[in-house]
Amino acid sequence: MEAFAGLLQGFDVALKPINLLWGFIGVTLGTFVGVLPGVGPALTVAMLLPLTAQLDPTGALIMFAGIYYGAMFGGSTTTILLNTPGESASIATALEGNKMAKAGRAGPALATSAIGSFVAGTIAVVLLTLLAPVVVEVALKFGPAEYFALMVFAFTTVAAVLGASTTRGLASLFVGLMLGLVGIDSQTGQPRFAFGVPELLDGIDVVVLAVGLFAVGETLYVAAYTSRLPETLEKMSGSIWMSAQDWKRSVPAWLRATAIGFPFGSIPAGGAEIPTFLSYSLEKKLTKHPEEFGSGAIEGVAGPEAANNASATGVLVPLLTLGIPTSATAAILLTAFQNYGIQPGPLLFQIQPDLVWGLIASMYVGNVILLVLNLPLIGIWVKVLSIPRPMLYAGILVFATLGAYSLHQSWVDLATLYVFGLLGFVMRRFDIPVAPAVIGLILGPLAETQFRRALSISQGDASVFLTQPISAAFLAVTAALVVVPWLVRRRRRLRKLG
Amino acid sequence: MRRSGAEVALSLAVLALGAGVALGTAFLPAQAGYARIGPNFIPAVVAFGLIVAGAFLLVEALGGGWRSMPEPAERTEHALHRGAFAWISGGLVAHMALMQWAGFVLAGAVLFACVARGFGSARALRDALVGLALALGVFLFFVRVLNVSLPGGWLKPLIGGV
Repeated sequence: MEAFAGLLQGFDVALKPINLLWGFIGVTLGTFVGVLPGVGPALTVAMLLPLTAQLDPTGALIMFAGIYYGAMFGGSTTTILLNTPGESASIATALEGNKMAKAGRAGPALATSAIGSFVAGTIAVVLLTLLAPVVVEVALKFGPAEYFALMVFAFTTVAAVLGASTTRGLASLFVGLMLGLVGIDSQTGQPRFAFGVPELLDGIDVVVLAVGLFAVGETLYVAAYTSRLPETLEKMSGSIWMSAQDWKRSVPAWLRATAIGFPFGSIPAGGAEIPTFLSYSLEKKLTKHPEEFGSGAIEGVAGPEAANNASATGVLVPLLTLGIPTSATAAILLTAFQNYGIQPGPLLFQIQPDLVWGLIASMYVGNVILLVLNLPLIGIWVKVLSIPRPMLYAGILVFATLGAYSLHQSWVDLATLYVFGLLGFVMRRFDIPVAPAVIGLILGPLAETQFRRALSISQGDASVFLTQPISAAFLAVTAALVVVPWLVRRRRRLRKLG
Repeated sequence: MRRSGAEVALSLAVLALGAGVALGTAFLPAQAGYARIGPNFIPAVVAFGLIVAGAFLLVEALGGGWRSMPEPAERTEHALHRGAFAWISGGLVAHMALMQWAGFVLAGAVLFACVARGFGSARALRDALVGLALALGVFLFFVRVLNVSLPGGWLKPLIGGV
């Protein structure tokens, strides 16, 4: 019932006209930027961060929730019409979505993805509402040791378990952790790896890293490796409405996908990529029209899109209740909180219930705005896609550099941005995941603080992480996640040999 | 057997980074308080992690290439277009240098034109004008509406800024 009271209070905040306006602006901007090819949700949120400089925290965060949802929806439009998934979570949508568009069914594909996002997003927010107070209740009992163990779990899932290669994921994570060391040590005031550069004493901003990797790196990669390839934009022809048959096939897919996506997002295992592919293969198995898969089956769009949205909302559970981001986008949202001196976590629900519940309530509202805004306006979003590529990427870089420069008004941030751009270019070319680096940068310093606090309390006795049951359990699961797949692979290989 | 020189080089770079962090850590004070570990402990862990990850990458690179890389056929790429890379890099460096004295708007216009050129646009003058208009609009919005200070540079008498 606590959730219900909190939510009512939240709607009080979210339905204020000014906050409705911020939500509306957020959704519109998020969709507009999210539609741009090559711009995924993480980059959209990072690039629009400077816009909130003058807003009060509640308004700014409500706007950000809108941007988050808008960017997700905008991204799927691009994926379907252009077959250029802006992020790995959209790849599954591209498989069938682009085929549908090629077959002249772009309208229903976009509709099922918009309505599916709404359905999945709304159910996921309901689940978030119910789940958050429960997690908060547990998390209030967490000490530094538990937090540290939980963060180690998050690092491991993000870097080692998700993604194609454990080795490359870990390399990326440790590069992020290394960047997180730069600056003044929060416990002792000792400068580390700043080389006497004043701008580096503040530490490396997550926005600079994210914009460098996602905007500069991506632009360099696209220009150098794909800009001279022909590109086909599918036309929006025919009705955008779904037929009765389309509805009948979409609804169960949305619901199943929500059931897959939300848990994946909400355990600190991040990444919407796995649930989208799980949903895709589940729909492929269950469908009554297997012959359509590969040439544009509507379930193959409805499922992954809903899974993507449900998991994106699920990611907000660990972010809001524990302060732990498990996707690159969540890492940037955490920066947005930190810019206002707000640390998400169980205490936030007690100290600033207005803000947290207002934010949660605004997601219900955001989902509705998204639906009413996007279906009728789809023609405008499609026009955005026809901006010539040279202009598009030039504009993206003007905004990207603005975001980095406005942090300290210093060219040092621009230089750092370019270095991260080169890093992103190399990572993109050699299939090294970037999310672990972004999460390592923001979560590394938090984990270090908890680690040293735990040891301070135990007077330097490192066994504290194993004698506290919750901490020990997290560490045991983490170890199992790494060791078990390795053992399985090894046994398989031995069997093959012997 | 596939072996890529670039993969070997990148693996070595990760190893070198780890060695660099280890070296830097050696100069950090221990300052152990109640926790019995100081500001140098986690850097040492990170150095160790980088070295281990770099070593694994190197072993993979030398033993047939990094694991589970996308097949060449799956990649939709053309050969490296050096000109594109150079134009965009040059644009970013010029932007960095121009920002302080020429100002945000002119630096932005140059960056815009260079990136467009990198993507194969042949109309440099038009691109520069579009870039100028975009950067000016952004500048005015940020400076006048959001109160974010941006350098006006050479255009400061006309448009303001710092």
